[in-house]
Amino acid sequence: MSYIDLKSPPKREDRLKACIAHGGTICEMAGAKGKKSCLHDDGDRAFTQGSICLLLPALAMLNSLPDNVVLLHSAIGCGGCTHSQNANVRFGGSVRWGKVKDGIWISTAMDETDVISGGEDKLEQAIIEADRRYRPFSITVVAGCVPGIIGDDIDGVVQRVQPQVTAKLLPVHCEGFKTKIWATAYDAVYHGIGRTLLREGEQQSGENGLAPFKGLERLPRTVNLMNVSSMGRIDELELERLLRSIDLDVNVFPVFTHPENMVKATQAALSISTCPTHDDYFLGYLEERFGVPSIIRHMPIGIENTGLWLRDVAARFGEEELAERIIEQEERELKEALAPFRKLFEGKRVFISAGEFRALATARLLEEIGFTVAGIRSFHHDKFAEVEYQKLAESTKEDYVIDIADVQPFEEANLLKKLKPDLFLGHANGNGTASKLGIPTHVIYNTGLAYIGYKGVYEIARRLHRQLTNPIYNRKLSENVRLPYSDGWYRADPFSYINTRGGVAA
Amino acid sequence: MSEHFIERPRYVCALGGATATITALPGGIPILHSASGCTGNFAWSQNGGSGLQVGGYCGTLSIPSSNVQERDVVFGGDARLREQIESTLKIMDGSIFAVLTGCVTEVIGDDIKTVVSDFRAQGVPIIGAETGGFKGNAYWGYDLALQALFRDFLERGVAKVKKSVNLWGVVPSADPFWRGNLEGIRNLLEALGLTVNSFFLAEDTIDGIRKAAGAELNIVVSHVYGVEAAKAFEEMHGVPYLSVPLPIGASASEAFLKTVSKVLNLSDKKVRAVITREKRAYFRFLEPMTDCFNDLDLQRYAVVVGDANYATSITKFLADDLGWLPELTICTDPLKDEEKQRLVAQLDRLESKYSPTLVFETDGSRAVEHLQKKWPPSSGQKYYNAFSPAFVIGSSLERELAQAIGAPHLSVSFPVANRAILDRGYTGFRGGLRLVEDVLSTVIAGR
Repeated sequence: MSYIDLKSPPKREDRLKACIAHGGTICEMAGAKGKKSCLHDDGDRAFTQGSICLLLPALAMLNSLPDNVVLLHSAIGCGGCTHSQNANVRFGGSVRWGKVKDGIWISTAMDETDVISGGEDKLEQAIIEADRRYRPFSITVVAGCVPGIIGDDIDGVVQRVQPQVTAKLLPVHCEGFKTKIWATAYDAVYHGIGRTLLREGEQQSGENGLAPFKGLERLPRTVNLMNVSSMGRIDELELERLLRSIDLDVNVFPVFTHPENMVKATQAALSISTCPTHDDYFLGYLEERFGVPSIIRHMPIGIENTGLWLRDVAARFGEEELAERIIEQEERELKEALAPFRKLFEGKRVFISAGEFRALATARLLEEIGFTVAGIRSFHHDKFAEVEYQKLAESTKEDYVIDIADVQPFEEANLLKKLKPDLFLGHANGNGTASKLGIPTHVIYNTGLAYIGYKGVYEIARRLHRQLTNPIYNRKLSENVRLPYSDGWYRADPFSYINTRGGVAA
Repeated sequence: MSEHFIERPRYVCALGGATATITALPGGIPILHSASGCTGNFAWSQNGGSGLQVGGYCGTLSIPSSNVQERDVVFGGDARLREQIESTLKIMDGSIFAVLTGCVTEVIGDDIKTVVSDFRAQGVPIIGAETGGFKGNAYWGYDLALQALFRDFLERGVAKVKKSVNLWGVVPSADPFWRGNLEGIRNLLEALGLTVNSFFLAEDTIDGIRKAAGAELNIVVSHVYGVEAAKAFEEMHGVPYLSVPLPIGASASEAFLKTVSKVLNLSDKKVRAVITREKRAYFRFLEPMTDCFNDLDLQRYAVVVGDANYATSITKFLADDLGWLPELTICTDPLKDEEKQRLVAQLDRLESKYSPTLVFETDGSRAVEHLQKKWPPSSGQKYYNAFSPAFVIGSSLERELAQAIGAPHLSVSFPVANRAILDRGYTGFRGGLRLVEDVLSTVIAGR
């Protein structure tokens, strides 16, 4: 029995031994001191700030699916994040199909009565009514904390109601208190897709029993480009451009994909991930059950990494020489285009904060365009990132701090006060701390902006040049507002609230 | 309205409302006793719905939170909460701390009352509220947070101060115009010579709040939000309250000033002088618009969709001040019957004698159906009395409605995804002018 046969996927702290609490350095993380790079013995913090849970990234994916209703089974607040994600739904629809449309999300809004007597009946009725009112192709039934804690069986409800409704029902488990690694979200959504829309046993048997979904054929030059919402259309286009240049057709999966068309993913000759934090769970499934091999190694952010990413793909199709020619030309053109920006960047120290792989790949990119890395915060850590820490450990002249933290801006504020970097790149809703300290800032992820591939490097450089040309907004802000931390905190060790259980973490 | 779900809820939960309320207090530090994702969810919700305002001094991902996990569910989270409060007091610099519970810790039955009173006994300025998300929406969370503030933080037995009032009823973040709206009303009250504590503005201080029980009157500018807290305040501190609709524009502001001064026994002369001065300025601004207002035929039918503060108050302004025809008003809050009755009564007595249709409907996408009941769609007849020219004032989710009926649209009620809002507000005389500017600018945008 594999994971997909379970009702819900395992949490990543179990499956990948992922962790969120560690203070270290780049050399240490790269294993230079003989440390196990996967921190099996995760720490706990005696002080924590709120962050997100797996529900947020899961909804970012689910809300993008056309002809789908997101039905939240939880208290009324869960899913409020959709109000900002809806901007991506509207923009994403507009750039892909020329149509602006709000996502449809609804909530069973569980109240005190539901908590006491159970919410299964309400959920059942909600599914039936949503099916009749919106007539969607699919309804994703997303469980938050409350059903998880009172023991509602959403899979049971879905099984019971499915024969009464037209829409396909996908249960997705997002009980926030059950995992501290929010990247489990990707597994949760993929799990729902795998078990419902790409069910094993519905394919024709090939020679080895592995074949595309029934009635479909293998497409020898088509690749799945996995996107869990970390890339906007502009980034997809850049990767499509590169993949087409080695003569491949691209099937973007799963964001903004009509659920009915998801079966196409089983036809591809190869699945390509752009981020090992995202896709390993599902790539394994596609490979095991449908015979679609995969690549999950480099993230195409930065010059070197984009080349490595493209080379990996080209090698699978015997297009190594063609790829080398393309990479050579792309790099030559890009380096020439970057030259006017470099002067402003040269020697400036930068602190980077984001999901682990994105932070590390972006750090490498920033080195390539002239910056020096002063520190990195990764939102979690797992074994996939070892290779990236090693790349950075090799390229840096000096050791620097690595903070493994599910955001925790108090550690960041402490570090930034001490490090005084010239630039900070942070995730959405994650640039406020640096801004209030007067440090020039730029957002490291926004689906309307370009980050990926060669064009992404150029666009990031262009935007950073713009930010650094006039960073006065943050400076004035810092002169007039303050962060909510005590003076004593800035004098303390930034990692003094990390406790390690059962011995050493490092 | 569905019995079984709410479509695109226009509010977060009680915990979210309470959190935004504490963040908005001077030096306010919320301490969430909840799962890790609650604060992030509120941050993203504000990011998309509060007119580009996210957080504050201690908001969003800076908010201390115990981030309870599965093992706390099994063994209880009290010890974790104590540890979290202790470390918060060392790391965070605040004037008031508030422990707020989420769904998980309430279902497992963590006893925050004991924990909070232990810390308060040591002199820590800390309060606690049970705000599990399943208890209600953000507006109710606001009420619960205020109740806790009044109960646990306000000094008791302080001497009454004549002509001093407390003001609330506008919910931080849940009303994207909360600061401007509070300021507009504060200005009205100050014009009457009153000293105002409004809790959430830059002018307010934590010491002023601590002494809030010395007020002569509590003014709640809402039929719903903060009304229960006002009742609790009266019980605890003996200060009566006045619940009035959000005063938008000239007519409502005039009525507001008259009501307040009557309750406080202020001199008629003073009130009349304030009203005369404000109206004079208001109509001086309005006067030169009259030609274009006529020449461009800027009277409109309207649909108003909003929360319990905006739905009726904007409708009244459109009907009684601008001379528009707000045919359909939809309040998207889930309300109790008595609360609905208060809103119905507000629109029953319009000066224009105009009678809008008020519907309580949580699901915005049903607005078209409600409109078509009153204004049936064309069946291709030669002479057709269309719902046109029309205008939609609602949230940014009403863009779909506006598109469906071919009307321009302005976002006012949460979520406001498509406007940047800082100090703008629609209350008071000047607020009415702002609303006219915003609405008409939208109509003539292509001119």
